[in-house]
Amino acid sequence: MNTNWSKTLWALMRRELWESPVAFKWTPIGIGIFLIFLSIISLIIYTQFDESLSSLYDGLRLLSERSAENRGLAVKAGLFSVATLFFQLMLLIILFYLSGSLYDDRKDRSILFWKSLPISDSMTVASKILTACLLVPAMFMIAIIMTHLALLLFATVLSLLAGLNPITTFWLPAGLPRLWTIMSLGLIVQALWLLPIYAWITFCSSWAPRLPILIAFGIPAGIALVQHSWSLATSFTLPGTNIGWIMLQRIGSGALPSNINFEFSNTSDVELNEDLFMSFGNLLDVLIDPAMWIGLAIAAVFLAGSIWFRRRATDN
Amino acid sequence: MNATIRARNLSRRFGQTRALDGVDLDIPAGRIVGLIGPNGAGKTTALKAILGLGRYDGELEVLGLDPSKSRDRLMKDVCFIADVAVLPRWARVKHIIQLTEELHPRFSRDQCMFYLKKTKIKMDSKVKSLSKGMVVQLHLALVMAIDAKLLVLDEPTLGLDIIFRKRFYSNLLNEYFDEERTIVITTHQVEEVEHILTDLIFIRDGKLILNNTMDDIHERYTECMVKPDQIEQARALEPIHERVLFGRHILLFDRADAARLRELGEIHKPSVADLFVALMGEEDDAGDEERAA
Repeated sequence: MNTNWSKTLWALMRRELWESPVAFKWTPIGIGIFLIFLSIISLIIYTQFDESLSSLYDGLRLLSERSAENRGLAVKAGLFSVATLFFQLMLLIILFYLSGSLYDDRKDRSILFWKSLPISDSMTVASKILTACLLVPAMFMIAIIMTHLALLLFATVLSLLAGLNPITTFWLPAGLPRLWTIMSLGLIVQALWLLPIYAWITFCSSWAPRLPILIAFGIPAGIALVQHSWSLATSFTLPGTNIGWIMLQRIGSGALPSNINFEFSNTSDVELNEDLFMSFGNLLDVLIDPAMWIGLAIAAVFLAGSIWFRRRATDN
Repeated sequence: MNATIRARNLSRRFGQTRALDGVDLDIPAGRIVGLIGPNGAGKTTALKAILGLGRYDGELEVLGLDPSKSRDRLMKDVCFIADVAVLPRWARVKHIIQLTEELHPRFSRDQCMFYLKKTKIKMDSKVKSLSKGMVVQLHLALVMAIDAKLLVLDEPTLGLDIIFRKRFYSNLLNEYFDEERTIVITTHQVEEVEHILTDLIFIRDGKLILNNTMDDIHERYTECMVKPDQIEQARALEPIHERVLFGRHILLFDRADAARLRELGEIHKPSVADLFVALMGEEDDAGDEERAA
């Protein structure tokens, strides 16, 4: 029974991959190629100013002379910043994907085909959410790993030309297995963190008569506007809490490297350490944050609503 | 007792209109039922209720299940083809076949490939690049490869050419249908399905106007091409409909004495189309006018 369940879910999730190959397959591959291309172009431009590349080699030598900890920090910072571009485009793709997930087949009437299969509506909704939370991040993670390897190979060639040991300069400091494990876990934690937003968009997709993405953003933006006007008109102040701002803050926070430990910037001496990017420790912090669990409860309500509407949906 | 479809007082309202108005229905296994009615008569509403795709009031049981609650379980034994092609346009043929194979426990890939071999459909084609007829062929191949107990066809041949429509119904009859299965068909092309139907249902304004087996109908209704001099005598027998063809009066009788009619003219069995016009026709029908005159 259990294996049937997962087999069905997997078949449904692969269907999503077939439906959106550009978003889920070619975009991450494209970003990777773009980043590698960018590195090569930069190097070519660099040779215009410094034909012998001697200053670049000097820089690499400087890096290799730093302490192991500092080397690790520098290499990881580079690898994380490469991943950030992937993360941000992935978020955009997921938001658009979810807004169409329960809408597109109602619009083109193929819902009649999907509903002719012995698949429950909860299973359908689950397959869409799991695609957004696991399958798409997995596709992007594979592309990130490929890009990391390509860029490290690129760095290997450069360090060999500079007469340095690429293993001790780049490969060991990068700590790839640990780095990739943290990133993968981070993507899952981030998906849980954003689940209330994902669920809200899926919910809108399940009933919107048209333009689900506009409705999904329009409703909170509209409420935020009313809240603003109301408190400005009544008490001449900005509202204490604002639904639009809460949602934006949620999207801009969580476990992703660029969002973590902003508090450090308040103190004068920013402590440079790995916690700045992403670590097991701060993933755990996000997981045990009450805001995480409140968000999951909200997500459950919206997902139940999505299933309710999906059960009643036909072609219209 | 174990009816494929059993409905009691099945109703559905859309605002003021009653799309279904207290329909009682019993369809046993092994029948091919034609559900015939003008546009907006409630055909699609009824089919959607049966398939668990729409709400309804009243009682409804399909293969012992309540379709509004157990659509997913019901779909193991029920297949349907809606009026226009609804296969996902982005999908490739091989993807759809693979998905159906993985998601439908009663699907046979071999059977599906057997039907597709006779067509020009390629495995790598996308649905959106197929012609309308090919999409229907593909959908039909998928559906006929599923060992289902009930097949629902809502205007399955809409917009297809006549050769294809003929082949469609002969496939259905020769290769798919057996005593265990039930097929429910709605269509406007009555003359194409009438020779394959075992049961006939006329629906208008959400009510069943006629619900009989074809055998009953053939026994019950008689058409008589009346000799010109005996037209008044024939009218005295209270025909339910009268029309004029090449100057000859054709009267339709419900449960008339065949021997008596034979004296008045040439008798034969009415076609479903003629019966449809007689029972469902508008009042401005030529025959009615003449009779009123």
